[in-house]
Amino acid sequence: MIVIICIDEKKGMMFHNRRQSQDRILREHIIKECKGRKLYMNPYSYHMFKQNQDASIVVSEHFLEQAGTEAYCFVENQNICHYLDKIQEIVLYQWNRHYPADTYFTVDLSDGNWDLVRTEEFKGSSHEKITREVYKKIR
Amino acid sequence: MNYKKIRGTWIIFIICCMFLTSCSFVLPEKTAQTGQEITNLKDLPAYSEGAYVELNGNIPQFSEDELTEKSFETYSDLDDLQRCGTAYANIGTDLMPVEERGSIGKVKPTGWHTVKYDQVDGKYLYNRCHLIGYQLSGENANEKNLITGTRYMNVEGMLPFENMVADYVKETGNHVLYRVTPVFEEQNLLAKGVQMEAMSVEDQGEGISYNVFVYNVQPGIYIDYKTGESSLDQTDLEQTDTQAEGEIRGNSRSKIYHCPGQAAYEQMADSKYLVIFKSEQEAENEGYRKAKR
Repeated sequence: MIVIICIDEKKGMMFHNRRQSQDRILREHIIKECKGRKLYMNPYSYHMFKQNQDASIVVSEHFLEQAGTEAYCFVENQNICHYLDKIQEIVLYQWNRHYPADTYFTVDLSDGNWDLVRTEEFKGSSHEKITREVYKKIR
Repeated sequence: MNYKKIRGTWIIFIICCMFLTSCSFVLPEKTAQTGQEITNLKDLPAYSEGAYVELNGNIPQFSEDELTEKSFETYSDLDDLQRCGTAYANIGTDLMPVEERGSIGKVKPTGWHTVKYDQVDGKYLYNRCHLIGYQLSGENANEKNLITGTRYMNVEGMLPFENMVADYVKETGNHVLYRVTPVFEEQNLLAKGVQMEAMSVEDQGEGISYNVFVYNVQPGIYIDYKTGESSLDQTDLEQTDTQAEGEIRGNSRSKIYHCPGQAAYEQMADSKYLVIFKSEQEAENEGYRKAKR
């Protein structure tokens, strides 16, 4: 599966059970990224996506178990460490800002198992620069 | 329960803890420093690591009748020593600035000194810190909204919390109740820190909710809070000299680093997740956090 995660410049993801940030244009980016394929997420994340009517979103608390090989998964407050075997690709969106954090993204993407295949930048609706990085699993 | 059963239970518990901490996900902590809930500012632990501690379980202390969808901003009058008091606002998009920030250099908050140190980011120890950040309320040189704060407090402590609120308000159009209270001890001219509380209004804290104390400190610098005078921290220098003999050992899986003398430092030497850094700064630049023990 392909996991999509947003992080700040210190690899933070959440603070006090709340997302650090959000961006309308980023959501549109993610919907486009899925190209009509199913996008899995939990109810917490869906609350933010529910106005994106054209997306094919599957909502479940157990979406990381349910998602198939080709599926996209938007992850905000889930532990992906138990699913690394299933993950073929990680798409990281970086806010390029610093927020408080108590939950971090700590997959070591430099451990030789991941290859950075693409990097791009774009302007969000409230973020000057969002960086998108795509990591493919090598082995 | 006999001794063996108790010991067995503890072993299982410890193994579970070890397993959990080796996962690629760091679970929320109660406070950045102590792991204990702080309900009173008098019980604040002395600064040791981390720019802030959580107060009252991270729950802000606003009452229900304060929740309003109308934007406002209020600033306390300066006290007899010309020190700032609480700044309180309901942040909405209508309060946010549409222009670049103007000059604030003419304001000299209490405890102000223009002083430089090589190890401080940007060299200057002190910044004029907005209680309510410019990006939230657009206040420029308002003396009731500016205190003397270290670069560390400004950038590592307060700014991330302001950013979180600013993004939320811009993206949702909702309001955030926002209160920043500088904490001065006795007649001190320099605040020991600020309490920051925030709560999103329309969703009743679902999007934003925090209550933290941010320390007005600068690692490596000793500060006299009575006057704001400062000097290089000799204790820190001695510690640095001792540590200079040993490398910093990071764990690439947990993203935690260990300094010579810390509990798991020796153990890390044989770890397959060992990453070596020349300095703590280098480790932190790579997104690592210092081990608590």
